[in-house]
Amino acid sequence: MTTAGIVADGVRRSFGDVHAVRDVTLEARAGAVTGLVGPNGSGKTTLLLMLSSLLAPDAGSIRIGGVDPVADPAAARAMLGWMPDALGAWSSLTARETIAVTGRLYGLDRERSAQRAAELLGTVGLADLADQPARVLSRGQKQRLGLARALVHDPGVLLLDEPASGLDPQARIDLRVLLRRLAAEGRTILISSHILSELEEVVDDAVFLVAGATVSSERIAAAATRQRTWRVRLADRDATAAVLPIAQTLGLDAALIPVDRRDVLLAFASDATAAAGLQALVGAGLPVAEFSAAQGLLEHTFLDLEGGDR
Amino acid sequence: MNLSRLWTIARLELTQRVRTVSWYVLLGIFALLLVGVTALSFLSYAPVEERGAGVYSTVVYITLLLAVLVSPTLSGNSINGDRDAATLAPVQVTLASTGDILFGKFLAAWITGLAFAAVAAPFLIIATLAGGVSAWMVIISVAILVVQIGLISAIGVAISGILPRPLFSVAATYLVVAALTVGTPIAFGLVGASITSEVTQTSRYVERCADNSDDCWGEDGSQVGEWVCSDWETYTWQQPRFDRVWWMLAPNPFVILADATPVAFDRHGGTVDLFGAVKHGVRSAQLAPELESTWDECARDYRYSNAPSAEEVIAQTVPSWFVGLGLQVLLAAGLLWWAWARTRTPARTLPTGTRIA
Repeated sequence: MTTAGIVADGVRRSFGDVHAVRDVTLEARAGAVTGLVGPNGSGKTTLLLMLSSLLAPDAGSIRIGGVDPVADPAAARAMLGWMPDALGAWSSLTARETIAVTGRLYGLDRERSAQRAAELLGTVGLADLADQPARVLSRGQKQRLGLARALVHDPGVLLLDEPASGLDPQARIDLRVLLRRLAAEGRTILISSHILSELEEVVDDAVFLVAGATVSSERIAAAATRQRTWRVRLADRDATAAVLPIAQTLGLDAALIPVDRRDVLLAFASDATAAAGLQALVGAGLPVAEFSAAQGLLEHTFLDLEGGDR
Repeated sequence: MNLSRLWTIARLELTQRVRTVSWYVLLGIFALLLVGVTALSFLSYAPVEERGAGVYSTVVYITLLLAVLVSPTLSGNSINGDRDAATLAPVQVTLASTGDILFGKFLAAWITGLAFAAVAAPFLIIATLAGGVSAWMVIISVAILVVQIGLISAIGVAISGILPRPLFSVAATYLVVAALTVGTPIAFGLVGASITSEVTQTSRYVERCADNSDDCWGEDGSQVGEWVCSDWETYTWQQPRFDRVWWMLAPNPFVILADATPVAFDRHGGTVDLFGAVKHGVRSAQLAPELESTWDECARDYRYSNAPSAEEVIAQTVPSWFVGLGLQVLLAAGLLWWAWARTRTPARTLPTGTRIA
């Protein structure tokens, strides 16, 4: 099933002279997690505000589950769960009350709101702190409360702005598992993050945003196929000693091969040449303990696009 | 608008308020203040036969004063303060409409202001027990107090939705409230005093009796001779025309309260409480000065004319409280509409220097 949960077409928004979003066209599939990647100030938050029905675009169209949030915000909001980057919590309310009040505002009745609050506190791991006022929560705990709040009305489309910031490693893993589960239930999830390695492990698709515009798929494809760096580590010797045999096997100039801590860094033009290189190393009897891309694909693409823009 | 969501927002505001200690401290200080005010007004109204009305009106006025002073801080940052704390957008993104949010916050601010009236209630009951307070006086003065607190709360909430910075919106709310309470008498005084009319008084006085004795009264009190009169003299002076600007006082909350409340009079037609005194003063301003007056001591029907009593003044002048209240309602409604347009989502224009979230 590939119905689109979120469709944006030629979306533009400026604040006075600042063109925050210039031309965004994207599609996020239902049942998948789509990552929104871009440098600071590239318009990610502005775009998410428009998708969440808080901000009207100057031009272009947006559809959330087929509904235009500008024409019918109420219908769009009933489907949308939004978690903002700057998370405000009512400081004197407890975590449980915060979720229940939000449920009431989404039109759930009293019992259902209380029930959802109890469920979601368990889901995001805040059950122990359920009756503590929100002001005593740490940043990461507030972040989880924000996620629970966004989920209270069981939305089909989730917009998450930097959900992982402030989370400890265990909470990040939990978040990843939760997001995969939510996507598997058929929801559309759009998630923005700076932590590309994190994103890499959870997203199915990625949308790149540079200077307020989405990057075309051709450019992404080109960036992704450009030369990448691989880390190689041999089991029986340190990196400096490994350079010479590796260079000899692959027919490279040993003086030009960089070393980073325990690893030798090798550049390959494509995945196929990398695979051939590995085969040659193993064939030459070298004890290859590690052979991995130095950067994730997202990070590689992101840095390449950023560099290409300058 | 949806009543359940509107009430959820009002309850959210109120819950946060009742969980702050400073709020109770403020109410406690107000209660202490009222103890003093009630005791002192019982003493100061001691010469009055039934002093209940005097004490009652004083306590209501102090309550209104405090509500007017405190309401801007309670309501003047409710929307932009939430935006600063990043708690506005999470509400805007729910099914709660802009109207639900505005009116929910307005209702919460109103109820908060009414807490002051609730603290004053026991003191009002004590005053009523002292006698002289009619049922209508209680019903109407309390109704006006409640409505007035509501209007100031509405103005505060609206301005917090119009101006982006909490500090400025609280200050602006204070300025609007000050314009209504202090600004109206200042404008009344200045404008009234600068519009003047020339008053001409022609007068002549009795000088002596025709037979050169000091007076013409016989021993039995009957007139025995003809009076000799002085020549006619004419005086002119500039008289301020407060009767042309009296309406400037109409939107003043304290004037509205006094003007609307039915007041009692003593047997000379004088006022017995603070409402009566203010009402008499404001209504007197409606009376036009006599521009041509004649003072003829020699006239046969000559007698000293008494100034009309408060009761007479109030009977022959028109009430203006509904006009004043109407103007305030229009002001509050206009500001709320403007706030609604500024807070509406999906937002088209944002106040400069603000982020929606």
